[in-house]
Amino acid sequence: MASAKVDVVIVGGGASGILLAAKLGQAGKKVVILEMGPPLGLDDLVSSQIWSRRLKWGGVPVVSEGKNPVAHNFQSGWGLGGAAMHQFANWPRFHPEDFRVRTQYGRGLDWPISYADLRPYYDRIQKEVGLSGDHVAEVWRPAGDPYPMPPIRWFKQAELLAEGFRKVGMRTAPMPLAINSVSYNGRPACIYDGWCEAGCPTGALVNPQVTYLPIAKKAGVEIRTDAYVTRVLVNAKGDRASGVEYYDKARERREQHADVVVLSAFSASNPRILLNSVNDKHPQGLANSSGLVGHYVAAHITFSAFAMFEENTENHMGTSGAFGMSQDGYVKDSHPGFGSYTWTIGVAMKPNDVLGFANSRPQLFGSALHDFMKRASRGLARIGVQAEELPSAENRVVLSDRKDAYGFPLARVIHSLDENSMQLFNHIRAEGDRIVKATRAKETWTNPSPGLAHFLGGTVMGKSAKDSVADGYGRTHDVGNLFITGGGLFPTIAGVHPTFTLHALTLRTADYMAKNWGAIAV
Amino acid sequence: MSSVSRRMVLKGAALGALAYTVGGAEVLLSPREAHAQGLPLKVLTADERAALEALGETLLPGAKDAGLAHYVDQQLSVDPSESLLLARALGVMPPYADFYRAGLAGLDQSSRKAHGVKFAELAADKRAEFVEQIRQKVPEGWSGPPSPFFYFVSRGDAVDVYFGTVEGFERLGIPYMPHIIPIKRW
Repeated sequence: MASAKVDVVIVGGGASGILLAAKLGQAGKKVVILEMGPPLGLDDLVSSQIWSRRLKWGGVPVVSEGKNPVAHNFQSGWGLGGAAMHQFANWPRFHPEDFRVRTQYGRGLDWPISYADLRPYYDRIQKEVGLSGDHVAEVWRPAGDPYPMPPIRWFKQAELLAEGFRKVGMRTAPMPLAINSVSYNGRPACIYDGWCEAGCPTGALVNPQVTYLPIAKKAGVEIRTDAYVTRVLVNAKGDRASGVEYYDKARERREQHADVVVLSAFSASNPRILLNSVNDKHPQGLANSSGLVGHYVAAHITFSAFAMFEENTENHMGTSGAFGMSQDGYVKDSHPGFGSYTWTIGVAMKPNDVLGFANSRPQLFGSALHDFMKRASRGLARIGVQAEELPSAENRVVLSDRKDAYGFPLARVIHSLDENSMQLFNHIRAEGDRIVKATRAKETWTNPSPGLAHFLGGTVMGKSAKDSVADGYGRTHDVGNLFITGGGLFPTIAGVHPTFTLHALTLRTADYMAKNWGAIAV
Repeated sequence: MSSVSRRMVLKGAALGALAYTVGGAEVLLSPREAHAQGLPLKVLTADERAALEALGETLLPGAKDAGLAHYVDQQLSVDPSESLLLARALGVMPPYADFYRAGLAGLDQSSRKAHGVKFAELAADKRAEFVEQIRQKVPEGWSGPPSPFFYFVSRGDAVDVYFGTVEGFERLGIPYMPHIIPIKRW
């Protein structure tokens, strides 16, 4: 069954899809969003780490393999709002050199755009949604407008940890957060309850439910949830996308035709849809003349170091995003292991879940775990890292032998860290050990092995179809009315969290589409 | 909404109300209440329940009475897209019952191999020794998910039911400070 044709169909109701829909709706386009998950609202954001798992991936399984499998389910989202519903809201900008790693260092890939191209969109986004931070203290920050709000409040944990950084000669600054330190645009200030990962129903934290979703709805954007998109459809010649095929909640097959198709699903899902959209004109999948659909998947290398203080660290207070940061390790070739990294200083913690007190010491159990939990609830503090993994074509999304209920292959993600990443991790671990030992804590320890955060790449942007899937606007090289948005476009991932850049990049795409509509939708 | 009303704490709320069947009718109970009332499990067998409760009590004393088995079992009875289990966030392939069944079978098989009895039949000190072994490497006779990963997930479940609740926060002296209290049925 086919619905009436629209101007734009957007696959995925996450941060980038909703932002794009809002802007195109405001530009007068008829837009439909097809979201695979349920129709969440703010009243679904129950304050519980246990209940927060309802915001994690709940769709068709993703097979995760390799020496260092990506944490797909933990990183992705489920339901309207997507992964941004449980984001921690750390929003530093990428640096200028992050966009030209190949040119400047002879490694990795280049972006087809520069920091100067993206800067106006960073500035616009931070003004539209609100960011807290201190642009003066953040000495590493590239050129940009000052933050519209002062930094969030620091609790004791951050002060105790920052002392360790100072003692080893490292600079610190407040972390720029997409969380209100004061009321902003009608949304209240944060009350520091630390439930960000479970979703913030107050509106203090930037998530699509309180930013661009209301704008999209007001602009007439139609949102269909429980809509599982399986393929992009093409015209008879195979050179234009004509719409998408999807299955609704009743498992009925439907088609939504549109002048422009946008894939805004998660980084594992967009390649899967393209690879499953095979036809006689595109035998290796749609938009895949490069053979690179699915390739260059990358994740941030993560690490935590812990300190147990005798003082009360007030670690139940604050945000899931960090109080502070240090980018003294951001220069990519200034240390063993190539790549940038950002230290995060102190976060609000809960007793349970992946990042809770208990898992800071996963080897403890029995009465020892009870004793530890009592001490941790008063004195635990944590620093962490987001470090850059260089792109590798070997890290990829391919189609699995396993299939969904409709006969379409699942996504299979293969990911391993290379020797350079391990060198970088070992350098970071040693530095983190020095930092926590320099604090006044009596007991410190570090994670022995790297973790992974975020899930980027897989449909990377570049200058031509020889080396990439899409151009600097996310327009696929092969199909002129097929666009991609989101973190899957990132050719390199920098040493910072991706969500601010994802928003800026999407806003740039929205501007481009609105201004060039006649040429795109022909 | 004021911060006071947002921070309203409901005394006695635990994990939140999950759906259990009592006398043919569906009622909302916390896992601790379901355990205390001796409700039958829906998915796990008696042997699997015994192994899970013995493992949970070894990992975190108090987890059994907090309703570990009733929590896991109830969550295994719902669609994976509605699951609250840590296994979901960690990328375990659904159906999650397969993961628990295989892990608990591995636990009993390897216990038999090493000690001649099922895990739940071991003395407390022997259970602790055995858990320390499976935490570090897969023991002889084990089948199913790697034992260190099964340890990690099971330990996470025990921590969830014992500490990840309003009661659990109170045990640690931490204010719960909810925006939306976890009593809503999803």
